[in-house]
Amino acid sequence: MRNREIPRGTRDLLPDEVAVKRQMEDKAGKLFRSYGYEEVITPTVEFLEVVETGTGGSIREELFLFMDREGGILSLRPEMTVSIARLAATHLQDAGFPQRLFYMTNVFRHVQPHLAQYREFWQTGIELLGAPGVYADAEVISIAINTLQAIGLDNFKVSLNHIGIVNGLLDAAGLNPEEKETMRRLIEEKDLVELSALLEQASIDEALKEALASLPVLHGGLEVLQRLPQLERNATAAQAAQDLIKVYDLLKISGLSDHVVVDMGVLRGLDYYTGMVFEGYSPDLGYGLLGGGRYDNLMGKFGFPLPATGFAMGLDRLALVLKQREAEPERLLVGGRNYSAVIAKANELRGHGFIVETDVEGLSKAELEQKIAANPGRDLIFVD
Amino acid sequence: MAEYLTIALSKGTLLKPTLALFRQVGLPTEGVEPESRNMVFTFEQEAIKYIMCRPTDVPVYVEQGAADVGVVGKDVIVEQGKDVFEMVDLKYGYCRFVVAGPAAMQGARLKELNYKRVATKFPVMAERFFRSQGLQVEVIKLHGNVELAPLTGIADVIVDLVSTGATLRENNLVELVKIMDSTTRLVSNRVSYRTKHEKIQPLIERVQEIVKGGVGQ
Repeated sequence: MRNREIPRGTRDLLPDEVAVKRQMEDKAGKLFRSYGYEEVITPTVEFLEVVETGTGGSIREELFLFMDREGGILSLRPEMTVSIARLAATHLQDAGFPQRLFYMTNVFRHVQPHLAQYREFWQTGIELLGAPGVYADAEVISIAINTLQAIGLDNFKVSLNHIGIVNGLLDAAGLNPEEKETMRRLIEEKDLVELSALLEQASIDEALKEALASLPVLHGGLEVLQRLPQLERNATAAQAAQDLIKVYDLLKISGLSDHVVVDMGVLRGLDYYTGMVFEGYSPDLGYGLLGGGRYDNLMGKFGFPLPATGFAMGLDRLALVLKQREAEPERLLVGGRNYSAVIAKANELRGHGFIVETDVEGLSKAELEQKIAANPGRDLIFVD
Repeated sequence: MAEYLTIALSKGTLLKPTLALFRQVGLPTEGVEPESRNMVFTFEQEAIKYIMCRPTDVPVYVEQGAADVGVVGKDVIVEQGKDVFEMVDLKYGYCRFVVAGPAAMQGARLKELNYKRVATKFPVMAERFFRSQGLQVEVIKLHGNVELAPLTGIADVIVDLVSTGATLRENNLVELVKIMDSTTRLVSNRVSYRTKHEKIQPLIERVQEIVKGGVGQ
């Protein structure tokens, strides 16, 4: 019997869960709007070409793919940044920049489902298009932190890094693209064992080896940059470190640096990131809550070269950390023999902000009292 | 209230060398006995908690964040494919994944194994290895005594963990190909590493130092 099954990794959300979700969405949306961000909606399906142009093809295995009737290959969107880049390249070429956009939507990935990882999950996020530089990065990271706080989280950390540091060091090491990719992955996964084995075999300058080996564990305040003397000898990495310091300083001015740590191992899986990157964590959940960064080359792939930065946060994961539903207005149940009096009373009370159910079963006062005793949480108003 | 650092330990052969290492590192081990039936050991003073797990469960506990760090064999990490940070190679608990077959197959080359039947307790590992070599095999999952499979004719070769090779020899099997070496690893949860960095990073550094000098068994 299959008529009660739902596809693996998808979920029904019941009223309590939806209430928590909507409360988070309301707070996040309000906050984004207060910074001048405007909401956009894109199609749930994109052509595979669009998704792969954006993500570089590394997430092919995670896509839900199917064909349309004209033979095109469609993908359920695996994330929103690529769709927004495509949207901007199509519709916003004549707009004033910077543009500030946000979204709240479901995305789909064919992953192994487990706690905090579903095949259909909900994301909200912002994209700041057309602004290069540290002030834009600082704005996006500030909004990420403020959103977590607005939603009701206080115990969390945001890890910052700049992709240019690892890229600069890997370029200097003279590795081929495949080796670079492997090392990036090992640094990101903090696989210290494989990384040191690989570095041991590689014919790289000893000091550089040491720097690369230390990246995954450089974690803390800005002082971790001082543990990378290689930075001074590498123009790309030095510039990246300067940007990182500047962003950190800007966050400090905004009073947000308590939540921020520098973590040289944060590289973000997706290929499109080019500069600052960051991730958010709560000690109450073994998986990340949000991630984002600068992606200055992505828009160009859609024929509209433009610097950009943004982040996405996982609403399902936030819900696991928050759990509790906030207090709502008082609930009332209005009953009575005179329909017009009942309706008038109910509407009056709704006007005062109460949540009002009316009796639709034609019950007596005693029966309604029994009903409420069996299922409390409402007060009875009986109109005689 | 002190925040605990929770460590998942593999029961069985790895436990003894792990406890020896922990003593050297200065972690509390008093009363943590291999024979004990306790599953959780709490050291309030040091804010350390140990969870005693089957080795195959350690990556699960660590990935989910039920444990912040864990001690487990590389073989288990590979087979389970869990998303954990691999911080230190502890060097002990050495074994290797091999493809082995009846003595008559001695010297057989890998490509001769194409379309053969492979019995193993590690189907993920076996499948991935042959696929990466461009070969297709039929993987037969068994839960133990894999050496029996070629003798009884349910498989042509086996993929198994070998440390000395004695079991293979006893069953008249020979090692054909080594897939990979495995030793014990100190692993960490992705988020714990960041949220409890001030506890985990010094631990990693102390362990690294000791491992470099060779672990007392």
